[in-house]
This record gives sequence, C-alpha cells and structure tokens, in this order.
Amino acid sequence: MLVALRRLNRTGHVGLAILLAMVLMGLVIPMISPYSAISSAGEQFEPPGPRHLFGTDSLGRDVFVRTFAAAQLDLALALAGVTIPLLIGTIIGAMLGSTKAPLVSLLWQVVIDAINAFPFIVLLIGVLGIVGTGLQGLLIALLLTGWARYARVARTRALTLRDVEFVQATEVLGYSRARVLLGHFLPNIYSETLAYGLSDFVLVIITVAGLSYLGLGVRPPTPEWGAMMADGRLFLQRAWWITVFPGLALSVTAIGVALVAESVTSRAKGEE
Amino acid sequence: MKMGVGSAAGTSSSAAPWEKLRGVLGSGAVLRLGRAFLVSFGVMLVSFLLLRLAPGDPAAILLGDQATPENLAQLREALGLNGTFPEQLARYLGNVIRGDLGISLASHQPVIALIGRALPVTLWLVFLTAAMALLAAVPLGLVAALHHRTWFGHTFRVAASLLLAMPVFFSGLLLILFFAMRLRMAPVAGYVAGFPVALRYLWLPALTLCTVLVPLLARVLQSSIIDTTEQEFVETAVVRGLPRRVMMWRYLIRPSIAPTISLLAYIIGQLVGSAIVVEAIFGLPGMGTLLIEAVQIRDYPVIQGGVAVLGLFVVVVGYVSDMSSAWLDPRTKAK
Repeated sequence: MLVALRRLNRTGHVGLAILLAMVLMGLVIPMISPYSAISSAGEQFEPPGPRHLFGTDSLGRDVFVRTFAAAQLDLALALAGVTIPLLIGTIIGAMLGSTKAPLVSLLWQVVIDAINAFPFIVLLIGVLGIVGTGLQGLLIALLLTGWARYARVARTRALTLRDVEFVQATEVLGYSRARVLLGHFLPNIYSETLAYGLSDFVLVIITVAGLSYLGLGVRPPTPEWGAMMADGRLFLQRAWWITVFPGLALSVTAIGVALVAESVTSRAKGEE
Repeated sequence: MKMGVGSAAGTSSSAAPWEKLRGVLGSGAVLRLGRAFLVSFGVMLVSFLLLRLAPGDPAAILLGDQATPENLAQLREALGLNGTFPEQLARYLGNVIRGDLGISLASHQPVIALIGRALPVTLWLVFLTAAMALLAAVPLGLVAALHHRTWFGHTFRVAASLLLAMPVFFSGLLLILFFAMRLRMAPVAGYVAGFPVALRYLWLPALTLCTVLVPLLARVLQSSIIDTTEQEFVETAVVRGLPRRVMMWRYLIRPSIAPTISLLAYIIGQLVGSAIVVEAIFGLPGMGTLLIEAVQIRDYPVIQGGVAVLGLFVVVVGYVSDMSSAWLDPRTKAK
C-alpha cells in the first residue's frame, strides 16, 4: 500500500495534499485558537470577519474552530468504519472463496448479497434504530453492514486464486487450512480489498456525516460536520455560514479521498 | 464485454455457487429468477434479524421499568417474539409475503398502510430524478466519450468525481439557499400530493439528486461508449458510410446502454439511499422521513418494515434490469 502511495500520479498527489492539510489543520487549529470548540466565543450569528473567520453560530460559538475540531472526529470515525469491516470482510471472503463446502458457501453468499442489496444508508438507519443512535450505535452499525462489501470483493478474488498453481501446490504439500489461508490467500487478496476500501472511504465519510445530519449519529454539542450543518439548517437564510463552512470542509475532505482513490485504481488498471 | 467504471462497486457477483447452479437449472432466465428469489429471502432474513440486534428483550426496552407481565406478553406478541427462533422466522416470512408488516407502536396503524402512503412520494422523486438525469447524462456521456482524449474528457472525469464526492445534503442546502431562498423559485420545504402540484415541491429535490445521478450515469455511459467504439462493428459502420444519426443511435448508444442498465440495481440503490437523505432536507413525507421518525421514537415494526420494503424494491429493480439488459443486448444472453 505504501508503495502504491509513493507511485501516485498528479491527481493522487493533490488529493493526498488536501487530506494531509485537513488532518494537520484539524490537529493544530483547535490548539492555537483562542476560542473553545464547545462553548460560546462571542455574539450570536456574527458574520464571517477578522475576529471570527467563519462567523459564529446560534450559540455564539466560533464556526472556524468547530469546523476544524470536527475534522478529527469525522476522519477517525470514517477510518474505523472502513478498516475494521475491511479486516473482517477480507478474512470472511477469503475463507468463503477457499472453502470446499458448497452449501456453507451458498448460505453465506445469500447473506452477503442480501446485505449488499440494501442501500447502504437504509440498512445503517435500520441498525441504528434497533441498537440505539449515537456514536456507539454508529460504530456498531458500520461494523455490521460494512464487512459484506469487502467479503464480496475478497471472495471473488479468492475464487480466481483457487486454480492458480502455487495454491494447488499447497494441497499437494499437505499444508494446514490455516497456513494456506494466512500465507497464500490473504497476501494475494488484501491489496484488492485495500484499494476498494480507499474508494469506500468516500462513501463512509459522507454517510457518517449524513447520519449525524439526520440526528442519528454524533450528537451536539460535539463538533461534527453533519451535526453542525443540521444545526445551521434552521438559520440558513439568516446565517448561511453555520451550514456552508462545515459542508465545504466535508466536501473538500471527501474530494481529497476520492482523488487519491481514483489515482490508485487508475494506476492499478493501467498495470493490468 | 468489459464493464469499465462500476467494476469496483459493480453488481456482477455471479461467481461460483450461482455458476454451479447454472448447469442444473439450464437457462439463464431461470437462474436469474432463482437468484432474485434467494436474495429476496436474504433481504427478509436480514430485516428479521434486525430486531434481534436489540440489547436485551426489545419489549422490555420499549416498556421500561413500569412494564406489567401482561403488557410485556402483549408487546412480545405484537413484535413477533413468541415461540422458538425457527417458528418466529417462519411466521415473519409468511407475514411479509402476505403483506403483513405488523402494527406501528406509535400510531397503531398497519405498517403496510404507512408505507403505502410514504412509498409513492419516494417513487415519484426517484422517477422524476431518473428522467431528468437521463436527459442530461446521455448527451454528456456521449460527448465525453467521443472526446475522451481532449481537455473536455479530462475535465468531465474530474468534475464528475468532484460532484460524486459532494454529499447530497450539502448540495441540497446550497440549492435551497439559491433557488428557494434567493430566487424564490421553489418552496423551501413541504409537499402537496397530486400530479401537477407535486412537481412544484419535487423539482428541487430531484435536481439535488441529479448532482449525484448525472455524474454517475454519464461516467458509466462514457466508459461503455468508449468500449463500444473499439468494437469491429462500429468500424464496419464507419466504412459503410452510414448516416451520422443512424451510426450514433444504433451502433454507439444502443449497444452501450446495456452495461448501464445492468448497473441499474447499484444505481437505484445509490439513488434510493440519497433520496432518503434528500427527503429529510426538503421535508418530503416519503420513506426516508417515515424511517427517521420511526428511529427517533423506536417504532420497531415501522423500522423493520421500511428497511425490508426498500431492500426488496432494490432487488426487484435489479432483477428487472438484469432481464431487460439481456433483451436490449443479446450478447449478454448468449454468454
């Protein structure tokens, strides 16, 4: 993966620069700013100006600090929402692709196809509705629904590996199933699911913010892009900045990830 | 046939188990139908299992500390939690197939009636969006394909991925700010049912959804038209000196539409997901609003039913699009 990052094209470099800038500003700005991200910093609804670069919200909080303070949470949530399902899904998919029990495989395939058949956000809303909304519910929901997408990618790849000579050789050599899986299947599968995970990151970061916008994810007063935008929705006409700046931050981040992902996939396609 | 773009997200998971069944079942049409049934069963299974995710006894959670044993028993029955696990599953599947999704805990109305009122709003929104998006995406995809090595092609690809990365709830709010608040061309929120009136409330939400759908469709179309131009029959058509219009439609667009249609299940899935969010922004009383309100008051039967209906909807659309792509492009049938 690191090798892949080093060989990005220009689009990929732009995307990476955007992402790094966002991470850096998310860490630095809340530290050096004179204002707090969760308590009042001045008058309500102050328009953007030299004192408050992005203005203030309905409680007089500084939108600039809040926007960048939210970057940490949003990126961390999306990272967790991609990597954990990625790991689980890759392992399940690899096991299914290498198994020789057709009935087990078929049953799992029905479950995987069914989970993937739902629009992502619909199933997330369903899980959140049962396990409870909020940060914890959001993580559980991402975990329960995300793995199936990676399992599908991993399984398809594993199936093509099954007929490759070096895998068949392991059978002749009498290796244990675990050894074949860990030593021969996974190393050849994870690069594919990893690349898929990168493009999935865009979907997850937007969906996490979307659920918070709908009031089902991260709750106020915690700074989070979606929740901040929902906050500003009521005052859209009067104070557009409360909504627009977090929305811009979210879009710019998502675009950064999308550029990196596109660069990696176009690279992979070119090499084939 | 090459699939171009959507391969990462694509719907083509027709690998091993299905392939093995193919030999037994013979024709592709039977296989497709069987697969659609299996996935529908899976969708119902997932929505059945959803309620079992509750931390503890769902009935006890809903009633709280003051629950009497009679109340608990009543609610457990209403939620379908009586009997053994296989019994519950069998009863749930039977009920869903008969169209009985239970009774809403909040409004005490049948869930199917609530969905019957909400689903048409979502469907109208989806259809209007699809119509608007096709009008824009077909010419855009065609031009972008024919000039894919020029600056236009590159700009198109970058612009499409930028738009795709922009969340609908942000573009929706920007469009409200501009069209509804500044230009006063549309109501800020709300809905009135009925044919011409509803359009007044639906066009801006549909335009919002187009910011996702147009780049998605145009990109898929662009890459499949590029694939088509490399085919021999296109070259033959050029050599034969066919009129440009015949050439465009019969030899470029028509063979390129099938891959787009076969991605329709994926596209519709994306569209319905985005529509759920857009409804909430514009205050449209569709499936999204129904689901979100149900989540906020923990109306378990409505959540379960709404999720199941939306999942089944996508599976059915996927099946129909699968069949029609075989009809549109005989090459997929022969494979």
